[in-house]
Amino acid sequence: MTPAAVLVAALAASSGSSQDTNSTDVRPAPRWPDGTLSFTGPPGEIGNWDGRPGSTLGANVFEDALDVSEFNLPTNLRIDEIPFKPWARALYDYRQATFTKDDPHTRCKPSGGARMFHTPYGFEILALPDTAEIIFLSVGAPHSWRVVHMDGRAHPKNPEPTWFGHSVGHWEGDTLVIDTVGFNEGFWISREGLPHTSQLHTIERLSRPDFDTLRYEITIDDPGAYTETWSGGWLIPWIPGNEPFDYLCQENNLDVGRMVGPRE
Amino acid sequence: MFCKAIAWAVGFGSLAVIASPALAHHSFRSQYDADQPVTLTGYVTKIDWMNPHVYFYIDVVDAETGEAENWGFEMGPPHMLERRGWKRNSMQIGDELEVHGTRARDGSFTANARRVMLKATGEVLGAASSESQTITTGEPAR
Repeated sequence: MTPAAVLVAALAASSGSSQDTNSTDVRPAPRWPDGTLSFTGPPGEIGNWDGRPGSTLGANVFEDALDVSEFNLPTNLRIDEIPFKPWARALYDYRQATFTKDDPHTRCKPSGGARMFHTPYGFEILALPDTAEIIFLSVGAPHSWRVVHMDGRAHPKNPEPTWFGHSVGHWEGDTLVIDTVGFNEGFWISREGLPHTSQLHTIERLSRPDFDTLRYEITIDDPGAYTETWSGGWLIPWIPGNEPFDYLCQENNLDVGRMVGPRE
Repeated sequence: MFCKAIAWAVGFGSLAVIASPALAHHSFRSQYDADQPVTLTGYVTKIDWMNPHVYFYIDVVDAETGEAENWGFEMGPPHMLERRGWKRNSMQIGDELEVHGTRARDGSFTANARRVMLKATGEVLGAASSESQTITTGEPAR
């Protein structure tokens, strides 16, 4: 039997089990032949993940506004509970007050940290056993990929700061745990404009409680911007039929000069 | 040269949203002002079928002054339009359109298109607009 045939049989079998849920209405997450959770669809079943509007790491509460998406984790902090350093809170407030007009993502810069996970147009999480890597392919980030080393290596001692940092991962049961250091300061860690510094260290925990749901949680450890570590995250739906597509933000990006924010 | 005397109107209105909103790569309200909805009619002068947003341009003639202004309209990326039924050749240079959208905050003749109608056929195409979304914390849900 070819490897592909083994995968088809294994994923088909696991998709029909009730291993992850007691409900017959909810499909269990597919698995690889060795039992490892898969973040893709079974062969022949096209789809990928697409972060939803409103997914945020910290909840703002306004009298006339709703920002608490149904997708956000119930454990998420409110903005006034996030342990900002004063300068970081001031910068966050400025970014909010100016309608996030300075978002590097809209300048076609890569989106590190959690930013990729609520960026539009979909992403895939591909396990490459031959190279012991997990690859994140993100269409809108823009057209970016990110690698997570699963071979047990350690972080380099003084990593050169990069957009996605240096990531190593391991499994804790059905949860993929990714530890990342070595970020540059060129991006925002989330769409709403939460600041960070090059001291940022993240621990991301990804799981698939059912076929259609990706649970994403990130712990922010950045003594340059926050006084304590803190966590937040959201649920990301599986979008049947979604596939990566050609999306090059740099092609004709006219938005930058027009993002003026509020004007009196 | 495609200019014709077509009335244009700016005002508040109840507009049908044909397609479900899409999440754009930028904050909608940083660029567009929801308090400035526009309804414009004119003839297509240019189509840029490119990422991150497809743009089309129409000449709009002010009924009072008779002067033409070239308006640019932002839509979603090509792929998202194609999923909503647009094709690269769904509109052609010279086609007459009626467009509902939201004007840019910078005061330019630029808007985000929500609804596009081909006047010749009455066909209505969604524009993969990002307007009706919650974009950042604090962004009112519309």
